[in-house]
Amino acid sequence: MGTKTFKRRSFLKTAGIGVVAVAGLRMNGRAFSGPAPQGDSSHQWAMVIDQAKCTGCGYCTLACRAHNDVPQSISWNRVIHAGKVKDKDVFLARPCMQCEHAPCVEVCPVGASYYRPDGIVMMDYGKCIGCRYCLVACPYGGRAFNWEEFTGPNPAVPTWGQPEVPRRPRGVVEKCSFCYQRIDRGLAIGLKPGVDEEATPACVVACPVGARKFGDLNDPESEVSKLLADHSYYRLREDLGTGPRVYYLPAREEVSG
Amino acid sequence: MIAKHALKRPAFRLTRLQLWLFLLATLVVAGVIAGSVVFARGLVVTNLNDLVPWGLWITIDLSSIALSAGAFLLCAAVYLLGLKQYQPVARTATFIGLIGYSMAVLCLLLDIGRPDRFWHALVYWNTHSVLWEVTMCVTLYFAVLALETAPILGQAAWMQRRLPRMAGLLGKAHTLAPYLAVVGLGLSLLHQSSLGATYGVLKARPIWYRPDLSVLFIVSAMAAGPALTVLASTLSARLTRRAHVDDRLLERLSFFIGWVLVGYLYFRFWDAFAMTYTYEPGRTEGLNLITQGPLSFNFWIVEILLGAVIPIVILLNARLRRNPLLRMLALALVVAGVVAYRWDTNLAGQMVVMSYLPQDISARYTTYFPSLIEFVSGAGIVAYGLLAFTLGVRFLNVVDHRRAQHHEAQPEAEPTLALSN
Repeated sequence: MGTKTFKRRSFLKTAGIGVVAVAGLRMNGRAFSGPAPQGDSSHQWAMVIDQAKCTGCGYCTLACRAHNDVPQSISWNRVIHAGKVKDKDVFLARPCMQCEHAPCVEVCPVGASYYRPDGIVMMDYGKCIGCRYCLVACPYGGRAFNWEEFTGPNPAVPTWGQPEVPRRPRGVVEKCSFCYQRIDRGLAIGLKPGVDEEATPACVVACPVGARKFGDLNDPESEVSKLLADHSYYRLREDLGTGPRVYYLPAREEVSG
Repeated sequence: MIAKHALKRPAFRLTRLQLWLFLLATLVVAGVIAGSVVFARGLVVTNLNDLVPWGLWITIDLSSIALSAGAFLLCAAVYLLGLKQYQPVARTATFIGLIGYSMAVLCLLLDIGRPDRFWHALVYWNTHSVLWEVTMCVTLYFAVLALETAPILGQAAWMQRRLPRMAGLLGKAHTLAPYLAVVGLGLSLLHQSSLGATYGVLKARPIWYRPDLSVLFIVSAMAAGPALTVLASTLSARLTRRAHVDDRLLERLSFFIGWVLVGYLYFRFWDAFAMTYTYEPGRTEGLNLITQGPLSFNFWIVEILLGAVIPIVILLNARLRRNPLLRMLALALVVAGVVAYRWDTNLAGQMVVMSYLPQDISARYTTYFPSLIEFVSGAGIVAYGLLAFTLGVRFLNVVDHRRAQHHEAQPEAEPTLALSN
């Protein structure tokens, strides 16, 4: 009996050491991950896209490619033909929805997808292991995997802008970030995202017909807050409960139904 | 025997075992080369894309895990239910489990975009993610399997001769067996079910989004895991004198597998039947893929008819079950059926592309067929598994049902938890 107790105790001891080792490794892990862009919860960023204005020119996609250094094979922002209203073509521009309850954040095993306090769904490219579960989980096709290394010049540069963020390595998933780099730098020098171009997402700035608006939902005076107060709008796949932060003003009012 | 033949015959004449090993080694080498191409050039060499990001390797991964389920079931039977006579079968199942889990890890290393960051999964935790839980289960259960198989290495004659102290140490792990059986049971049930849940929790994929997948994954694994163990044991005993089986044990296990299949088919029927009612975007298209589309042969013939119905008839009928060839056929069909089930499940959700346009929540189809590199590297992993098992039979006596009698003589050989008394 004595030996048996001893064995049980030593077994528990070994198990305990294992748990402590894993916990230690975890704490270390926190030290490994560098400071990630955080944002500030006093702002809640949102985008409004007016389908009545959008002409499907695709400037937004190109500006995004340049400013975020996205390869030709990937579109963070996609423009899709969405049908016709009285002979007029209607388009749907689709950036990342920056969901309030993002399936990609929930499923990521390593927490490489995370929420910033200002609502932006961010990617930590240094953490991503490339399992692509988020790609499978996203209902909007908003994510793309780097199947190969992006080398050589970016054809969208310099015509559509200059890269503002580092190129992602092969083997990680990437997506639209609401141009967090422009927001953060802009706020740091006292600019207002959605008002000052330097602090506003590149796609919004590039739109030649002003179909895209960007701003802070916490600010009732922001253009997005006012637009959403005065117009009927819809969001994509609201039935899924993801709570997108991209709002659409329909090409005809009935669509919002 | 072999030496005598070698004297009479030309030197290049190979034995059956050598031929088999040569074939497997060739496949492993080809797999290593293909794998190196994947690591060097990236996943662009696969036919995977953003619409179908999980393919053949994930199927092999899921199948390896399912086919490892014999380990936890038999260890639970021996150490928790006190069915001690199955101890030698549990030994084989555990060895197969260890191989299966290592195959799964190899698949994942190929499949993830950043294999150099595989350790991130252990260090950075997102406890909300089913895949995080799967990672923890794989790691912990892998350790359990390693401890459970340690005595096998300790018992090997060459180990006891060359490294007696090491052999003694490894053999001592046997005293942990009952505790390992409890831990292994918990981890395995969790792991097998959460692989189903990995798909089942995704609302964006209506054909997957249902709780049944967890149940179906664990139940199908409970049939396929023991089926592979029994099949591999029977086949080894027929092919080599190194393997010794007690056919009564294997026969009774086969009978058990037959009943598990009945349960599996029951769940499967109600799961599929319920989905046929009313149109549900994405789900109906997914079901069409399975029942009428490109996956329908797999579903009706491989999964249901060959993988479940025919094995049930053979394994539950005493006369048919006692025919060794028929029984092996039935067990092989069960294994094939579960592999087909994993393949079909993985693809059905991805081949349906859901629209997110407001007026048009409908679905389109896409296709996937693995590239040559995926096939060759996948085959290399399977060949590695077969090679490891073959070497286990040859050098570690992993299929040896005579051992039961040896051990019963020793008082400390069969520790069990109190609940079995």
